[in-house]
Amino acid sequence: MPRRPPLRWASVLGVLALALLAVLAYTPVVGAISRRLDTVPEPGRADAIVVLGAGAAPDGVLSNPSLRRFLGGVMLYRRGLAPRLILMGPAYEGSPIEAEVRAAMARDLGIPLAAIVVEGRGLTTRQEAALAAQHLRDGGGHRVLLVTGAQHMHRARRLFERAGLEVVPAPVVEISPASRSPDGRLDLARLILQEALARLFYRVSGYL
Amino acid sequence: MSDALYLIGLVALTSWLAWFGGRRWLGLDKAVRPALWRLLEWVGLAVAFYVFNLLVGVTAVVVLRKLTGSFISLYVNTDATLLLLSSFQALVFQWWRADSE
Repeated sequence: MPRRPPLRWASVLGVLALALLAVLAYTPVVGAISRRLDTVPEPGRADAIVVLGAGAAPDGVLSNPSLRRFLGGVMLYRRGLAPRLILMGPAYEGSPIEAEVRAAMARDLGIPLAAIVVEGRGLTTRQEAALAAQHLRDGGGHRVLLVTGAQHMHRARRLFERAGLEVVPAPVVEISPASRSPDGRLDLARLILQEALARLFYRVSGYL
Repeated sequence: MSDALYLIGLVALTSWLAWFGGRRWLGLDKAVRPALWRLLEWVGLAVAFYVFNLLVGVTAVVVLRKLTGSFISLYVNTDATLLLLSSFQALVFQWWRADSE
């Protein structure tokens, strides 16, 4: 086999990538970044609790972020911080509607039927903001306790404010920044990177 | 002992065993530096392919959304398997380059 020297630019990129991998997976740096980016919860009364969608499997099992957000919303309702619980989340490629799955669970957990609003049409955070604003206008009120992932909160809050709502952030931790396993740290890094890309896309598209 | 130290120690041990076994039973060269350069090149190529896939993927989703009017999530482009597939692309590219005159 003819021997060609390695591509210099690729080798340099490889060194940088391995160094970044080592820092992200084997040091607490990513946890510190996450804590710095996280929104601090501001619990307070609101006209409704809005729980954003986060995915469900075709058999109706909620994704981990979806379940965490749902439980966060239910706990806020149980604390009496709002009279309505707006559950969001569409159908994903053959899955049942996430909002309906959540609503069934909420009923099982003793949330009164009259307090639950099911909204399964929002496919993006921007659409969810518009739909939540519509529900708030119809039902009266403009102040919402917004329940979503800690990393997602910054973008979601801006979109909900642009939709004319007053937002009280109630972020839930989807991946703990205190995780000490390299696996957990890389998951968190991926979540942060994903949200950074989404924020960039929303900015370029003029949504933020 | 932390998970990080354990994993690094484990890989260091098995790497040394492979180096020792390779020299003793397979008659391989003592120097592994050229192979490490190839590793760095492969990792760099995998990153390059990943970024390329990401850029083309985001563009494709935006174009398909506009053309078809249907919703395709941008998040599909951040699926973990894309990194694995990118690393396969990098490996094939590396071998292809090595085999070319």
